[in-house]
Amino acid sequence: MVNLVNMLREHWVNVLVPLGFVIGIYMDRRNDEKLTAFRNKSMLYKRELKPGEVTWK
Amino acid sequence: MLKILIPTLMLLPTTWLSSPKWLWTTTTAQSLMIASLSLTWLKRSAEPGWLTLNSYLAIDPLSTPLLVLTCWLLPLMIMASQNHISPEPINRQRMYISLLISLQVFLIMAFGATEIILFYVMFEATLIPTLAIITRWGNQAERLNAGTYFLFYTLVGSLPLLIALLILQKDVGTLSMLLIQYSPPTLLPSWTNKIWWAACLLAFLVKMPLYGIHLWLPKAHVEAPIAGSMVLAAVLLKLGGYGMMRMVILLDPLTKELAYPFIILALWGAIMTGSTCLRQTDLKALIAYSSVSHMGLVVGGILIQTPWGFTGAIILMIAHGLVSSALFCLANTVYERTNTRTLLITRGMQTLLPLTATWWFIASLANLALPPFPNLTGEMAIMASLFYWSEWTLILTGLAALITIIYTMYMFMTTQWGPVPPSMNNIEPPHSREHLLISLHLIPILLLILKPELVWGWYY
Repeated sequence: MVNLVNMLREHWVNVLVPLGFVIGIYMDRRNDEKLTAFRNKSMLYKRELKPGEVTWK
Repeated sequence: MLKILIPTLMLLPTTWLSSPKWLWTTTTAQSLMIASLSLTWLKRSAEPGWLTLNSYLAIDPLSTPLLVLTCWLLPLMIMASQNHISPEPINRQRMYISLLISLQVFLIMAFGATEIILFYVMFEATLIPTLAIITRWGNQAERLNAGTYFLFYTLVGSLPLLIALLILQKDVGTLSMLLIQYSPPTLLPSWTNKIWWAACLLAFLVKMPLYGIHLWLPKAHVEAPIAGSMVLAAVLLKLGGYGMMRMVILLDPLTKELAYPFIILALWGAIMTGSTCLRQTDLKALIAYSSVSHMGLVVGGILIQTPWGFTGAIILMIAHGLVSSALFCLANTVYERTNTRTLLITRGMQTLLPLTATWWFIASLANLALPPFPNLTGEMAIMASLFYWSEWTLILTGLAALITIIYTMYMFMTTQWGPVPPSMNNIEPPHSREHLLISLHLIPILLLILKPELVWGWYY
């Protein structure tokens, strides 16, 4: 038990970079959704979107 | 883009919160992980044109190889510095690694920027960590002088660029690289426009550096610690080349006429700095001058503005980035054992460190552009495009190539062959870390021989 606590204390920082990766992917996706929704307001490009489809790029 | 940028930012708290025992292992492993993730960009940018990743950042086939190179270099820099920084107090070690990480953040944003002004701000921002690394962790008192040269040469070059960009914004109404290519400014050959043209390119010519405004570079390289030399040679000089390629497409038709003196100066510089290498006594200065010589060819390739010129320039920039960084690491392995960079004192290394001699051999062959290394592809493409422009340039480029071969062989033979000086009889054996470091430089070069189109830039 003590070993486990020690290990956690020594190595918990290794979580930060993978956490950053997950946050990065989440923010990239949210940005895609936001800009896709913005583009879909245009009368010229408006259409029914499949779930998760990105059109703005 | 954020999926690389945010983990890189998270490396900063990781550096400060990890226990002293695990500091170097953690940061090396995590940054290597980020570098491997960045390789996915190579796959996504296979199609021509921009791939916008969010509202401010985008990649295209020109910036992708440079971005991947930037990410690839961070773990290598951390690995290379381990030996000489780890005896220092722990907070200074953390500060050092944090500076390297912040440099990567700025460089990613510089290469990924869609707005020229964001690129400019990041271009300037890279000065701060680099200056701190050179002036704080350099080995000799001359480092302060080198830092002043580095800062002022670059600043004096880049302030006119700021003015030029503000004028561009006023005239065209945008500084977005995505938009400005559709409405480039109309340039009549007036004096104002000629000065504006020079202001747009001067910052990058200083950064490359062009012969004549290159004096800061050998000083900075010689005085910087190993990570500083590596990042300067591998990425920071390429920031100049990248910026030039972005700007030069906006500057037509003035470039056709105004580029003459700069092309000639660059090619002349390639010969002159090559000749300087031939009589160098300092190993790091030799590699630094060799960088100036290679970058001269890149300047020629970019200013000639043909597809082959651009392709050759980007290939040579990537290949030279990896090779010169490897050479600096090798010079550092010698320096850490003998505490001298003088060529005549560090002789006969082949008998003492045989595997390292193999790395020296491969890196030297790549530096002198032996087929089939990508360095040769880059040089040939640039030389061919210059030759089509004017046959006479062959004398300059051919001579530069010949001198490159001579001084690289001179460097290899002086350090590796000959009698071993008595002072070197009991030097430390090589670490596996050092072998790993050099292999991580040379493996990408060898792989690029098999798939060179990854670094062909726009015209693939």
